[in-house]
Amino acid sequence: MSKKDLKHHDCRNFAPVDVAKGICHLSKKMVSTDSPVCENFDELSKCRNCANYTADKNEKTMGTCEAEKTKPWTFEDLIAVNCEMYNAK
Amino acid sequence: MPKKLADILEEKGMPIDFQYGSSAPEEMVDREVQKEPDSRPNKLLDLYFDTLSSATVEFPYWYTRKWKELDAEVPVVRRAIALKYAFSHVTPTIFPGEKLVMGRARYYRGSFPMPWESEGYFMAKEDELYQDALKKGSVSSGEVSQFGAGGGNVTKSFGNVVSIAGKFGMRQEEVPALIRVAREWVGKSVDDLRYEYEKMMPDYDLKENIMKSVICMFESGFTLPLGREVINYYYPLQYGFDGLIEICKERASEVAGNADGDGISGMNRLYFYKAAALVLEGVQTWILNYAKEAHRLAAMEKDSTQKAEYEEIAECLEQIAHKQPRTFREALQLIYTVHIAVLNEDAISGMSPGRVGQVLSPWFEQDIEAERITEEEVIELLELHRVKMTCIDCFASAGVVGGVLSGNTFNNLSMGGLTRDGRSAANRLEILIMEAGIRCATPQPTLSVLYDEKLPDEFLLKAIECNKTGTGYPAWMNNQSAIEFLMWQYGREGMTIEEARAVAIGGCLETSPCAWHELTLNGKEYVVPGGAGQPTSVGVHFLANPKILECALFNGYDHRTETQVYPPHNKKLETYEELWEVYKQYYEMTVDVLSRANNIQHDIWRKNNMSIFHSLLKPDCLAKGHHIGDMGIRYNGTYNVESCGTANMVNSLAALRKLVYDDKKYTLEQMKEAILDNFGFKDAEEVGSYSLASQEKKGSGETWDEIHSNCLLAPKQGNADPYVDSILKEYEDWFCEMCTEHESLYAKPMYACQISVSTHGAQGAVTLATPDGRLAGTTYADASMSPYPGTDRNGPYAVFASATVWDQTKSQNSQLNMKLHPTAIKGAEGSRKLLELTRSYLRNGGFHIQYNIVDSKVLRDAQAHPENYRELMVRVAGFTQYWVEIGKAIQDEVIARTEYETV
Repeated sequence: MSKKDLKHHDCRNFAPVDVAKGICHLSKKMVSTDSPVCENFDELSKCRNCANYTADKNEKTMGTCEAEKTKPWTFEDLIAVNCEMYNAK
Repeated sequence: MPKKLADILEEKGMPIDFQYGSSAPEEMVDREVQKEPDSRPNKLLDLYFDTLSSATVEFPYWYTRKWKELDAEVPVVRRAIALKYAFSHVTPTIFPGEKLVMGRARYYRGSFPMPWESEGYFMAKEDELYQDALKKGSVSSGEVSQFGAGGGNVTKSFGNVVSIAGKFGMRQEEVPALIRVAREWVGKSVDDLRYEYEKMMPDYDLKENIMKSVICMFESGFTLPLGREVINYYYPLQYGFDGLIEICKERASEVAGNADGDGISGMNRLYFYKAAALVLEGVQTWILNYAKEAHRLAAMEKDSTQKAEYEEIAECLEQIAHKQPRTFREALQLIYTVHIAVLNEDAISGMSPGRVGQVLSPWFEQDIEAERITEEEVIELLELHRVKMTCIDCFASAGVVGGVLSGNTFNNLSMGGLTRDGRSAANRLEILIMEAGIRCATPQPTLSVLYDEKLPDEFLLKAIECNKTGTGYPAWMNNQSAIEFLMWQYGREGMTIEEARAVAIGGCLETSPCAWHELTLNGKEYVVPGGAGQPTSVGVHFLANPKILECALFNGYDHRTETQVYPPHNKKLETYEELWEVYKQYYEMTVDVLSRANNIQHDIWRKNNMSIFHSLLKPDCLAKGHHIGDMGIRYNGTYNVESCGTANMVNSLAALRKLVYDDKKYTLEQMKEAILDNFGFKDAEEVGSYSLASQEKKGSGETWDEIHSNCLLAPKQGNADPYVDSILKEYEDWFCEMCTEHESLYAKPMYACQISVSTHGAQGAVTLATPDGRLAGTTYADASMSPYPGTDRNGPYAVFASATVWDQTKSQNSQLNMKLHPTAIKGAEGSRKLLELTRSYLRNGGFHIQYNIVDSKVLRDAQAHPENYRELMVRVAGFTQYWVEIGKAIQDEVIARTEYETV
């Protein structure tokens, strides 16, 4: 994903207040979830950023976790900060 | 211009906006008691006001992913592993300025669906949700700010946010995952399975017709199977999570392979202990993930004060994840964490904290004595607790969250009452809890006083001061009546008078069985109370009393849905007694079929979706090795039958008795014709308002004017009129007895519960005009003892006299709401008057009273200009809610209530 497509909910510094906005831990300001990120962007662990994630060819935003034997379905925006199998690309 | 009912009644000298005692001042009068939150809670409360109800699929995703893998596992262990996996994986978020941390989901006001309970709603909406999810677009701040005016409800999709259930927003990128998760539960959820088994009941069609006609509007088994009960914080407070895991493991090894004389469920204990340890480990990891997040934030934080606060948070969480809390702050964090963990385990409303001031008193006393904390610091923490509890959202369908709950979560905190040995239990911390409630006025936790003659005036007058903020809390409950009810219902399960004194309120005002526990802190011993019963307000809910009467009048037929709901009785109803008998027959038929259906629902729930974490918190699940569903809990006879619309039903019976049977002024056929034609008025939906005052005539015809006028003038509940009060008494004596003839799945007799919550709006909307003059589609009277708005014309003591003609200890509760103008109780003298008014009702056998101390003009202005009233709260029926977050039907009803200008 190019940086211009990244949104605040992709950033580790962003505390999501609700589905539309959140607080930046660095600036302490309220920012829109969908507004462009700044130079301090810190990538949040999400399935889409994991080497174990394979995107579904048929269904956009969905994919598979290859790290588990059962290869469960998952989705690219699933936050994986506590996933023990997360492997950053 | 169509003529309004309000104008017609004004002409007849029966003004509908009735003010008792005198006239309210011309100008709007504000609340007498107004204080501001402390700085920190104020900022966090402001953040709440600007926050949308937000749902995420994280927890259900992780839960379902693990659950799918384990189809060969023992069900309770399978569920425990899935819960542990979900708790361990959800994302922790900590917001700047917080001292109390953690939440249901990563959002400030976050929640999530539980499709293992019911997935049908999402599947039915699948196409619609997908379509919304596919509509990409940038977020417009203008669009978002529109929601601020209506509170945090996301009633419409916008930008990348999809509205679900008319209240919750979900990021569009999560919606496809939500649909996939929901699909995983098709045919497996409690809802789907119960349907298969309910259909085996010979009278299943009757049940379906009752639900379709909204004679009943809530099925608890697959919507909110737990709640309306008092939580128990004792075990983690005493033993810490490490201690509890140790107990579970020890007990598992003791019972492994042993039935111990119980050939049916003795072996289940091993699996329960294993499951309990697993979930405890999951909750531990969840807490420690927040601690890690606090350390991470501390490491990146430049501001030294904030940095230190993050480290304090981490230290606090690391302590409570393992051990008994050491300080008041740690104890408060622990009980809040435990509360949220329970809410994340299952779909729940009304999981009430109980007597928190008494539970936390040991830490408060020791911290104050050691000068580790000041009272001002305690108040700040209690304010923060209020904000966090207010952030709790309950995720369920629109019908449940909107129609029943008005978005409320009913976390009722009880105060006062008696100690185990019968002394006043009111304490200093409870005074501070009220002070926090005054400064930081929020809907949660709502407060209740367990009124007892032994409570000191200082405590009672503080409660009155709190009432005068206009927040609607504390509600006043009759402690002695509650104890009497508990002994009546739970004596058969071994309850003693000492144990009954541990009572607290669950949900709105559900009297709940509790127990005493011996707690040790730093070598000093205390006795603290905690919940000890199954959920209440599970069973048969809510029954629309006027709608059942309507069916009795129309031979079992519902004109709105054009359905023959009940078998036709084919009686001419020539006498009042015959009408009353038919009414009772239909009612009993309703309770019978619904209680059996509900038993199936909850049985499926306990077999596949049993409570584990919540179970281990309550006595005697850990001791017995059985979860709630296997009756490990001490008190099991908690299922009940809940009614709605009592005043309209009683008033209607009185009108029929007077006008048709006694005075023979009209025939029953004439009355029925008038009802079907809505007394010549338009339908409430067409008018766009559900209050009686706003209803408009269809034309200038006067066909039904006289009959309508006489219906309105017929005797009404709430005026100390024996004609109508005798009908109320006869109904209550029958109803309270009838409920006990039905049995819950735990083979215990049910009992009466008489609160309306918000169902008087929804059930009023489906009811034709009623013989008391209420028009079609308009809201019923709230509660059970509240008179119909504007019909109580003889003052508060007449209302009390009517309400206490029956023995209220035979019901779990009764409910009376009263609206007072602030000037009626102004000053110290006013406070005394309000206390005496309250005492008068409770001393005469009333169970509950609560007040809206507000100028009706404020409410009208708030309805016209909601953007100016984001913080305004009102008491509805057992709960306080933000004005802007309740539906118009209920707003109209609160405005229409009689306003007392003097007491």
